[in-house]
Amino acid sequence: MTLLGSIGSAVFGRWLATTGLIWLALVAISAVAAPLIAPFDPLEINPIERLSEPAPPYLFGTDHFGRDTFSRAVYGARMASIIGCGSVLVALFAGGLCGMLSAYFPQLGHVLMRVVDVLMAFPALLLALVLMTLLERSVINTVIVIGIVYAATTARILYGMTLKLKGEVFVDAAICTGAGHSSVLLRHIFPNLISPLLVQASFVFAFSQLQAAALDFLGLGLPPEVPSWGNMLAEERIYITRAPWLLIFPGALIILTVFSLNLVGDAIRDAIDPRFRGDIAGV
Amino acid sequence: MLTLLPTLAAASFLVFLFIHLIPGDPAAILLGDAATPEAAAALSKELGLDEPLLKQYALWLGNVAQGDLGTSIFFQQPVLSVIGDGAETSILLAVMTMFWIIAFGVPVGVISAIRRGSWIDQISSGGAMLFASVPTFWLGLYLIHIFSVGLGWFPSSGFPSISDDGGLANLRYLLLPSLTLAAPNAALIIRLVRASMLDVSREDYVRTARAKGLHPARVAVRHVFRNALIAVAAAFGFTFAALVSEAVVTETVFSLPGIGRLVVQSILRRDYPVIQGVVLVVVVLYMAVNLLVDLAYASLDPRVSLN
Repeated sequence: MTLLGSIGSAVFGRWLATTGLIWLALVAISAVAAPLIAPFDPLEINPIERLSEPAPPYLFGTDHFGRDTFSRAVYGARMASIIGCGSVLVALFAGGLCGMLSAYFPQLGHVLMRVVDVLMAFPALLLALVLMTLLERSVINTVIVIGIVYAATTARILYGMTLKLKGEVFVDAAICTGAGHSSVLLRHIFPNLISPLLVQASFVFAFSQLQAAALDFLGLGLPPEVPSWGNMLAEERIYITRAPWLLIFPGALIILTVFSLNLVGDAIRDAIDPRFRGDIAGV
Repeated sequence: MLTLLPTLAAASFLVFLFIHLIPGDPAAILLGDAATPEAAAALSKELGLDEPLLKQYALWLGNVAQGDLGTSIFFQQPVLSVIGDGAETSILLAVMTMFWIIAFGVPVGVISAIRRGSWIDQISSGGAMLFASVPTFWLGLYLIHIFSVGLGWFPSSGFPSISDDGGLANLRYLLLPSLTLAAPNAALIIRLVRASMLDVSREDYVRTARAKGLHPARVAVRHVFRNALIAVAAAFGFTFAALVSEAVVTETVFSLPGIGRLVVQSILRRDYPVIQGVVLVVVVLYMAVNLLVDLAYASLDPRVSLN
């Protein structure tokens, strides 16, 4: 079976993972088509309707500025996707390249992997906090900071895997037939790293959601006016008693998204590594 | 193990550089709003800020070695004593959290592995994954909402020192925070214990133990569990890092006077010397934990050599 085929059957073979994938598709659709789906402008303030309960036309109620929570949640999906995809890109590109090259060129690896060690000496959120202190609150900075934090982990995983692959016979064979470094790396080693990279992508995406929400909550993530699920929770937390829906909806959206990502990531990992087949919520 | 020293040196250099990466004159940044040109010049001289960067680093490291982490702009007190004030809360919170993690995570993981595929396993594995997906602060807010505001069972915020009135009874202030902090980490430990139990149970010596007719419970405890613990012990460095990260959030939610909230408040107050001090302390602690984990790993598993 092809790689894609086995991953597909692993994900669709489990109803939980399939449900997760459907949820992620919904998030992606909301992200792309946010202006079409959201009935109101997510920033439109309407003091008369403030803190109204969930009922049409406000499906998820309104917040303390009278903004429509449903519309904000839909735009929040857009932010979640931007943060997730951006962090995955930064982490996988920087970390993946660093790990691969370090394992393939040991002398370069001596230097690069020490840099990775130093980055990993800082607990994730603390590193993100310190970096955010030095930067302005913005979407791009949040993406870069979370990406850097997970680039180190990605580099370490890819380093180990490339090192293993480098010792394989097919790599020796390629070198013996006169393949250059770039050919060995791109045509012989990299294809074997695609599936671990996919697994890593799903976990980095999941972690980025939790980290971004934590940064927003601490007031050090996205600018406060950006409608993100983390900002919605941060802004409305004092209304937890008066208007519980303001915290339930964004919270549930984060949990569902992270849970789905973990389910799909697990399913892909199991497809690659038969040792795990049948494990962890494999129903 | 010797690779640890260069890493520590590089990490501490980064922490040192932190003040220099903030735009502006480092002396003025260290003094905060109260900076007069004279005071800035005096501090600049004291810290050797007109010297080359490496020499400044050496001076700073010398001060750090003597316990001088600078002066807090906000508290106007030595950074080390400000950190010390938060230590009691953070250490007690960490100990209670570790207690929950071990008390819940290990047994549930073991049962899940022994009853693999059963409904108990499905529930605990699924539940573990769900808890690992919940933002810590969200869980904390709801625990406060339900158990403090709604039922009035536990205090919702703060933590009076156990040397104050109330003594050990004050630990009830840390119950909800420690449960909040334990949830995602116990979830990880459940999954880890389960996975490593299943890994070990495929080993030849386990088959041998079964083949010679040992009781399954004895095999599970003496042969599988003991060896599975090695992998779990190795993950404690990772758990420490996760605890530190989530403690920052949890202490903020529950307004606990610990080091985690101190760092968030210091960032919002632009109290850079405190941020620098806390980060340095955490990095050193984290590396010490990792070293201890490596040592424990080597003594638990004779196949692992420290060289």
